[in-house]
Amino acid sequence: MKKVMIGNHAVSWGVQRSRVEVISAYPITPQTQIVEELSDMVADGRLASRYIKVESEHSAMAACIGASAAGARAFTATSAQGLALMHELLHWAAGGRLPIVMADVNRAMAPGWTIWTDQNDTLSQRDTGWIQLYCETNQEVFDTTIQAFRLAETVDLPVMLVLDAFFLSHTSEPVDVTDQEVVDRFLPRREARLKLDPEDPHAFGALVRPDAYMEMRWQQQEAMREALRVLPEIEKDWEALTGRTYGAIETYRTDGAELLLVTSGTITSTARHVVDARRDRGEAVGLVKVKMFRPFPTEVLREALTGASRVAVLDRNISPGHGGIFAEEIRSALYDVPPERRPRLFGYVIGLGGRDVTPSVIDAVVDRSLEAAEPEREDLWVGVEL
Amino acid sequence: MSQTIIRDRIPKDELLASGHLACPGCAAPIAMKLVLKALGPQTVVTLPACCWSIIAGPWPQSSLRVPLFHTAFETAGATASGIKAGLVARGDTETTVIAWAGDGGTFDIGLQALSGAAERNEDIIYFCYDNEAYMNTGIQRSSATPWGAWTTTTPVGEPEASPKKDIVGILAAHRIPYIATASVAYPVDLVQKVEKARTIRGMRFIHILAPCPPGWKTQNDETVDLARQAVQTRVFPLFEVENGTTWRLSMDHAGEPVAPYIRRQARFKHLTDEQIERIQTEVDERWKRLEIRVRHGG
Amino acid sequence: MSDITEPTRTGRDIPPVAVSRTTTEVNPTGSWKYIQPRYEDRVAPCNAGCPVGIDVEGYLYMLGQGRTREAISLLLDENPMPAVTGRVCHHPCEDGCNRANLDEPVSIHGIERRLGDMALAGPAPEPPERTREERVAVIGSGPAGLACAYHLARLGYGVTVFEAAPEAGGMLRLGIPEYRLPRAILDRQIDRIRGLGVEIRCGTKVGTDVSWAELDGFDAVFAAPGAHVGKDARIEEAEGTGTIRPGLAFLKEVNAGARPDLGDHVIVVGGGNTAMDCARSALRLGSKVTVVYRRTPVEMPAIPQEVKEAKAEGVGFLFLAAPSAARIVEGRLRGLECRRMELGAPDESGRRRPVPVEEGRFTMVADTVLTAIGEDCDLAFLPGGVEVVGGVARIDELCESTVARVFVGGDAADLPRSVADALGSGKRAAIGIDHWLRERAGESPPPLDTTALRFGSTGNLSADRLRGTDPIPRTAPVNEVVSWEEMNPAHFARAPRHEDHFHATADLAATFGEVNFGLSEKEMREEAERCLNCGVCNRCELCMIFCPDMAIHRRADGDGFEIDMRYCKGCGLCAAECPRGAMAMSREAR
Repeated sequence: MKKVMIGNHAVSWGVQRSRVEVISAYPITPQTQIVEELSDMVADGRLASRYIKVESEHSAMAACIGASAAGARAFTATSAQGLALMHELLHWAAGGRLPIVMADVNRAMAPGWTIWTDQNDTLSQRDTGWIQLYCETNQEVFDTTIQAFRLAETVDLPVMLVLDAFFLSHTSEPVDVTDQEVVDRFLPRREARLKLDPEDPHAFGALVRPDAYMEMRWQQQEAMREALRVLPEIEKDWEALTGRTYGAIETYRTDGAELLLVTSGTITSTARHVVDARRDRGEAVGLVKVKMFRPFPTEVLREALTGASRVAVLDRNISPGHGGIFAEEIRSALYDVPPERRPRLFGYVIGLGGRDVTPSVIDAVVDRSLEAAEPEREDLWVGVEL
Repeated sequence: MSQTIIRDRIPKDELLASGHLACPGCAAPIAMKLVLKALGPQTVVTLPACCWSIIAGPWPQSSLRVPLFHTAFETAGATASGIKAGLVARGDTETTVIAWAGDGGTFDIGLQALSGAAERNEDIIYFCYDNEAYMNTGIQRSSATPWGAWTTTTPVGEPEASPKKDIVGILAAHRIPYIATASVAYPVDLVQKVEKARTIRGMRFIHILAPCPPGWKTQNDETVDLARQAVQTRVFPLFEVENGTTWRLSMDHAGEPVAPYIRRQARFKHLTDEQIERIQTEVDERWKRLEIRVRHGG
Repeated sequence: MSDITEPTRTGRDIPPVAVSRTTTEVNPTGSWKYIQPRYEDRVAPCNAGCPVGIDVEGYLYMLGQGRTREAISLLLDENPMPAVTGRVCHHPCEDGCNRANLDEPVSIHGIERRLGDMALAGPAPEPPERTREERVAVIGSGPAGLACAYHLARLGYGVTVFEAAPEAGGMLRLGIPEYRLPRAILDRQIDRIRGLGVEIRCGTKVGTDVSWAELDGFDAVFAAPGAHVGKDARIEEAEGTGTIRPGLAFLKEVNAGARPDLGDHVIVVGGGNTAMDCARSALRLGSKVTVVYRRTPVEMPAIPQEVKEAKAEGVGFLFLAAPSAARIVEGRLRGLECRRMELGAPDESGRRRPVPVEEGRFTMVADTVLTAIGEDCDLAFLPGGVEVVGGVARIDELCESTVARVFVGGDAADLPRSVADALGSGKRAAIGIDHWLRERAGESPPPLDTTALRFGSTGNLSADRLRGTDPIPRTAPVNEVVSWEEMNPAHFARAPRHEDHFHATADLAATFGEVNFGLSEKEMREEAERCLNCGVCNRCELCMIFCPDMAIHRRADGDGFEIDMRYCKGCGLCAAECPRGAMAMSREAR
């Protein structure tokens, strides 16, 4: 069934199709429509879920953790300050190996107060052990929501699906809302291996001494590696049912490219136009879209980027004191490539706080990346006017 | 009450195992043991950072014979809400879900989550076992620390300057179905209140006084007697509140003078007679207010 | 090359999350303790105070469990006549009862009396087997003599009791009025003793009807002739009028059935039970009675219940007064001159000595004066070697006199005087005689450890302990009396004491029938529930309930508790909360 809907509602429909059992959420702009729509769905019976209207995001995640530990499929959504408030518990969900799915609407962190998009909120959480999947379109948002549950429950790790504030969350696009029985074939009911069960009582999360903590972390890391392996299989299943697939990364017109743009989120859509225009003019410019940021798809990215002489990473984020986060991680992914094949990497910080990234801005970035001999700095900020 | 009556009213099965790591003479395992007896095996416990995080035993041990979920400090109310929702979503409407938190995780850092759960009337029982300070981290003050007490962060030069927070008053204002105070010195009263709570749907809160030998600076074998004296001096009266409006005393409170109760605890050793008088006055006034609520409703 | 970066499989099988695999029972937290608890039963003050050596707390414990027949049996193991003692004993057990610190003492006498009556209402026990050849002569069938006969018969001996009076019972029949001890009860109680095979020869006075030498055929002799000679009150000009009489002689008359006319005004001099018996008997004969006592009510040796009943019946009391001379007019007693007294320094009894007040002379109207100020013994019949000091025979702990084979007890020996003390001495003598006879027979019996046979250091010997039985399951008992301070009263609820049903009828003249009916069976059981079981574990399980470590369990093999020292941290809460002081803490296990 095709519907035109905003990105937030694509999440809601994804959650509804995934037969989520417990939702606990707290409102924050620009996430609110996700939970409002879910509220309606629960109220009119389209979704048989318990919905806990918690009193903060920290409690939202705590309740998800509790529900998931009890064996239920749990979901929450948040943004920026709310995600930051959850930080402590993000570690808890991941270390607890609980397959919670959360939608985060990428919103810049305060201060200054802002509701517009950048990626600092989710990327600040990149060390918490959550899988992170960045979406480009509302269709992708819908599909990724459902895939997130399947992925989470396969490797027992929580998954964060990410969409840009306003550019996706509040923008209407057509979404093919896959039929429930198709989704059911793809995503069965959750059957937790370990859960809170009076028939088989255990304690979860007690004190772990140095002689065992590392082994548990190692297994968590192994699960991340497993996620890299498992994603293509999951996507294959989804493709067979729906015809749609995305990949941990996507290469767009990268053959023989001299310059490769690397983007994530909605900047990707804009960048595609720029690449098309450049290719039409005969310029060897291509695009690599990064969808999966955690686990970091080192192998495929290295493969995709080696060969081009230049890579321009567009980071809608900044790690103060270092550089754009995608750029830093890609730079380190390319470290082991032999120098003669290692592309020169330009890291651009762009679009923070929701500043628009237009085709002409990307054009300028492309020009500059092709012309400049070296990047003068690690982080090249675009469009700062003091 | 005759002691054979006590014996016959306490369920026999033990749901708490020996070998736990509580200090000798600690009231917290006595409280847990009695509560679990009253609740039975179809129970799930979540407990935040507190003494019980350690008492329960490190991985791979557990001293509870029911499922236990260790959770972050401030989350007891929220995690319990989630667990209950998860169990119900999976078709289990019978298992009792309880939060088991110390005073820190209830009065201070956990107050928000507790208030949220109470306001939503979550179908859980929240137990606060109150030893009147952050004992697990080495006896620092909490808002449950009584006025005048020594703790490591309220040293003798500047002892606790705030009165104990009225957690029951706060929860009564939420109008939850059932609140009760209990003491390990009155095991039948405690068990009866828990058994009653188990049959009620919605948010239930039970506040249990748990004297702590190292924190209160008392002898190991005084714990139960302190818990008794706290009740009889009306420092910690035993009562129930239903729907925030009906207040009911659980027994006669003799109204013994507080001075012997205070003086036997070396955490109060530095107090002058005037200061103890002030405590007596405050206890008397609180008791009067409680009596008014019992007579006229809250 | 070893590669430290490759994970190795150690078999520890660490799970992906911290999910528990065992209970905490793998931690031997018992290693933390530096002191440890033990169950250690102690002696209750009632036992320690009982001159008869009854295991009071034993039978109360049984009653509390509904084991009435066993309670009666235990009582009869030690006390031959509970229906009597329940009525007349001065019950020092109640004086020591710890319950007095909570509300009021348990009415032990009321319970004992009801049990005694129930025993008499039931079938008589089987006579014991005659397992010993020896025969013992008992002189006197008062409480001491009857007790000795009873215990000796139960130990398998042949016993013959010689009683000077026409009927058995001694002071029980002669001195105690019927309204306190109905004859029917006394008779049935004595019949039960006869039923054990004891021969009682009444109307046979040793020294007159039977010579001492004729007792040679007996292997041992227990002399308990009692004290029947009233002391002289030394009232001037008393001689020859016949109306200043020793109270005991008066009682003997009345208890034999006489109903003399004592005139309108009777004065009884004295403050003990005999004085009360005289006063209340005189009242029943129609006189107005005043008791004159030289000290105050506090010092009166009479049982308080007797005084209370006397007052209720209308006996008058005058304290701090003593007679000095009789007022005789025309050959008849008209009055008694008295002097007011005040209390001075204590005398050898510990009580303050009364001292006449200079100006305090006055006269009371009197038709008859009965003096009840103590009795002396007639020991002329005893062989010369028996040492007599202060009018009573010198004896050792087991009532043996200074002459081998001759044992003395009751009021005739150097012992406190009461029915209970007499009964106790009879038992001690039986134990002593039994031991002496076995030694003489060459059986080398194990030495008697009287400390082990006593309850506490002051209680009398126990026949059950001699037999090596303890009918209630005392755990590792120590022979120390448990004080109130060692108990924890927090777990006891107050409950009022059941008082005896006392009906002081308006018209007493016609009746010497019982006026005190004791407790009903229901009240008896409720009183027994008031017993705190001092010092004896009654399985209340409070130790288990309060143990923070679940280290106390009911024993799988039977009754009682065991402490799992693997987990006990030695906190001491069990011992601190034990309501009855039946636990102790120490550094090492004993």
